[in-house]
Amino acid sequence: MELRYFIIRRLLVLIPTLIGLSIFVFLLMWAYGPCNLVSVYYTVRSHNCAVIAPQEGIYLNDPVLTYLTYVEHLITGNWGIVGGSGFFLPQGQVLYYISIFFPNTLQLALAATVLSLLIAIPLGTYIGSKPNSAADHFGRIFSLSGYAMPTFWLGYLLIFFFGQGVSSFPTNVLGFVGNGLVNYHHSLPDWVSKTTLLSSPTHILLIDSLLNGDPAMFVRAVDYLILPVLTITYGILAGILRFIRAGMVDSANQEYVKTARAKGVPEKVIIKKHIRRNALLPTITVIGLLISSLLGGVVVVEEVFTYYGIGYLLIQAINPRSFEVWLVMGGTMVFALILVMTNLIVDVLYAYLDPRIRY
Amino acid sequence: MVGLKTRFFTANGIVKAIDNLSLSIKTGETFGLVGESGSGKSVTATSIMDLIPDPPGRIVHGSVYVDGFNILSDLPKLAKIRVKSEKDVIIKRNKRAIKRHGYVLSGIRGSKVAMVFQEPYLSLNPVITIGEQIKEAILLHNRRSIAESLIKRETLNKEDVEKMIDNIMSQPDLLTRQAIIHDWCLDYGIPDLETPVNDLVNNSTDRDFIVREATEMAFAERENLNIDDILTARDYYKNVDDLHELNLRKLELESTGNEAGLAEIDARISDLEASLRSEFFSYRLRLKIMKRRYEKPFEVVAQRKALELLRQVNIAGAERVMDSYPHELSGGMQQRAMIAMALSSTPKILIADEPTTALDVTTQAQILDLIRDVNKRSKTSVLFITHDLAVIAEMCDRVGVMYGGNLVEEAPVREIFKDAKHPYTTGLLNSIPRAERRFEKSARLESIPGTVPNLISPPTGCRFHPRCKFKMDVCGEKKPKLIEIEKDHRVACFLYSDEVEEEPKEEVP
Repeated sequence: MELRYFIIRRLLVLIPTLIGLSIFVFLLMWAYGPCNLVSVYYTVRSHNCAVIAPQEGIYLNDPVLTYLTYVEHLITGNWGIVGGSGFFLPQGQVLYYISIFFPNTLQLALAATVLSLLIAIPLGTYIGSKPNSAADHFGRIFSLSGYAMPTFWLGYLLIFFFGQGVSSFPTNVLGFVGNGLVNYHHSLPDWVSKTTLLSSPTHILLIDSLLNGDPAMFVRAVDYLILPVLTITYGILAGILRFIRAGMVDSANQEYVKTARAKGVPEKVIIKKHIRRNALLPTITVIGLLISSLLGGVVVVEEVFTYYGIGYLLIQAINPRSFEVWLVMGGTMVFALILVMTNLIVDVLYAYLDPRIRY
Repeated sequence: MVGLKTRFFTANGIVKAIDNLSLSIKTGETFGLVGESGSGKSVTATSIMDLIPDPPGRIVHGSVYVDGFNILSDLPKLAKIRVKSEKDVIIKRNKRAIKRHGYVLSGIRGSKVAMVFQEPYLSLNPVITIGEQIKEAILLHNRRSIAESLIKRETLNKEDVEKMIDNIMSQPDLLTRQAIIHDWCLDYGIPDLETPVNDLVNNSTDRDFIVREATEMAFAERENLNIDDILTARDYYKNVDDLHELNLRKLELESTGNEAGLAEIDARISDLEASLRSEFFSYRLRLKIMKRRYEKPFEVVAQRKALELLRQVNIAGAERVMDSYPHELSGGMQQRAMIAMALSSTPKILIADEPTTALDVTTQAQILDLIRDVNKRSKTSVLFITHDLAVIAEMCDRVGVMYGGNLVEEAPVREIFKDAKHPYTTGLLNSIPRAERRFEKSARLESIPGTVPNLISPPTGCRFHPRCKFKMDVCGEKKPKLIEIEKDHRVACFLYSDEVEEEPKEEVP
């Protein structure tokens, strides 16, 4: 019961957070130049706003009014206009493009998180149960280098070694083909939309290809994903591994482990049941933090691999040739939303797993 | 426990935590171990089960006999220790030997020797419920007997009941009757029937009626389990137990070097292992896949037994406590739960390592009562470790006084308080605060001058001599031997005997 109120409270806190954030980003955009904000009213981007604005009755000298208009657009679902001249996408609404690019990012982030957990938990358990052994030293070097290596560098290394000629890994990903922007040379199954390239029902190609029983498509999806996922995975994996290892070493020295030994519990069960369960608790918090940092990583990795996700979209939006103000604001809002939601999920999960925490 | 030596190899040097300690605890007695902090009491306790954390600690010499079996018989094989200097020690561990040592010991820990620790709030796993932790202890050592009682319950027939009722009818004494019913119900795994059957027998003299009713009740207790499964489980756990028993015996033979016996045991072990692998292959596979189905009957029995244990240690609201987490209980309750866990397999010896230190006074009394009760009821020996002499006086039959990793005096509890010999013991006794002494003229509390020695470089000779009032020249040069000066009263001090403890010839760090 208390947990429910906690969730509701956290969701309510979300509102001022988002308002504050939108104001902040809006002010930055305003400082860049109010003229760019015209397009929220006007369907055609124009640099000649000094001429157009007065005609349309736009109050560009009043940031408060402009901001409120933007909020109105946010609520009604039109997050502004993007695209057209100089941009790689045709003109359209921000929310529409986000809804197309976001599933790709989600797929990338989920795959990376799951993969890193699948590797980090057993590996961390193993090296954490044998501190200062050869395996432990190796694991620590492995995780430290993951910590230290910038994602873009690792990404380029992977492209260099596996992406060109050496193997058949395609470094370009399945993405947006609407209006023929990307020449998609495979025939599409009928569960993938011809215009947006989004698969149904979950919009995540990895899952949908399995749901629709199309192994060939699944292999293709994995093919596209594998290098960017590996790049992101290494970074998160390194962080989780370090924490699980530290947690294991810490828990192993606790009194309750001695109690378990005194009961006659076999060593294997002690490690799995008594040490690891306690070691995973602090790790969950760290996973929450790492997912936030993953969002930053996603932007870089998507740019490196030209992966058509929301990070790539954002990078394009801050291209000086065509600065897409509304897209930057929309993308930032989405990132903020994900961040707050993952933190909420992590907190709830923590409360569920650790009986000592009650809200 | 004979000639036990435990060392901690640290960066600052080797800590000689226990040096040549020998003591024995008889069946059913309560042995108290006292001494200042850092005198090696707790290390002694943990050494008995070889629970010394490694690294940094290791038992380097000695034997610990539990129920006639030396649990340290493979000690020389576990690790080769080469001392270059105090701060530079090379330990080569034999992983296979350590693994086997752990396997053999895990069958003894908890079942024959159980332990209650100092801080109950740290000693219970915070993320597992109390019930689950007690059940774990029960299921670790009692699976075979659980399976047997399940079989008995499921195959119980009218003749069994008739036999028991006839037995009762021939006994006129009410208490004997009750005892028979109690044992019978436990034997058949139907403890809930004890009261109704008692009522039945007391309220009626019609034999046939009693038999009919009791049989009906017993049949109602059945859970209609798949008897084949339980039979297989019984055989399986019997083999597992036998394998452990054989390994135990093998270790024993190895230390005595009995070649012929070893070969025979080896053959039997490999036979058993083969049969476990082949005969029970499908059972083990099924156990892995459908864990719930095969574990359920065991879980149910363990659950019932855990509840009973919690009631036995006087926990109010045992049902609620079963599902609580350790942090939801008070310190006293936690310690009771620990004791319940320790009692889960009726151990031969219960080691209580300062079980009351972290508790408040009234709770202390209850816990002490409980431990004494356990000691009296099930003839469990207790090794009671504390620095509180009042508690010792209250609880123990015999007392050992430790100083700097040595046993300096050992005597029946009465003697220690009436006629302490060793200067350290007298000093310890004089430093107890007493309420009435506050109002006497010389109201100063005596204390022993100086501090506990640093065990990295302990004083030469008698370890107590730098602080001793009666120091003689010989004290700094030679180490006094623990000598029996009166019946059951042993002291290590040159005031009473000139005998010197010889250092063992073999090189021990």
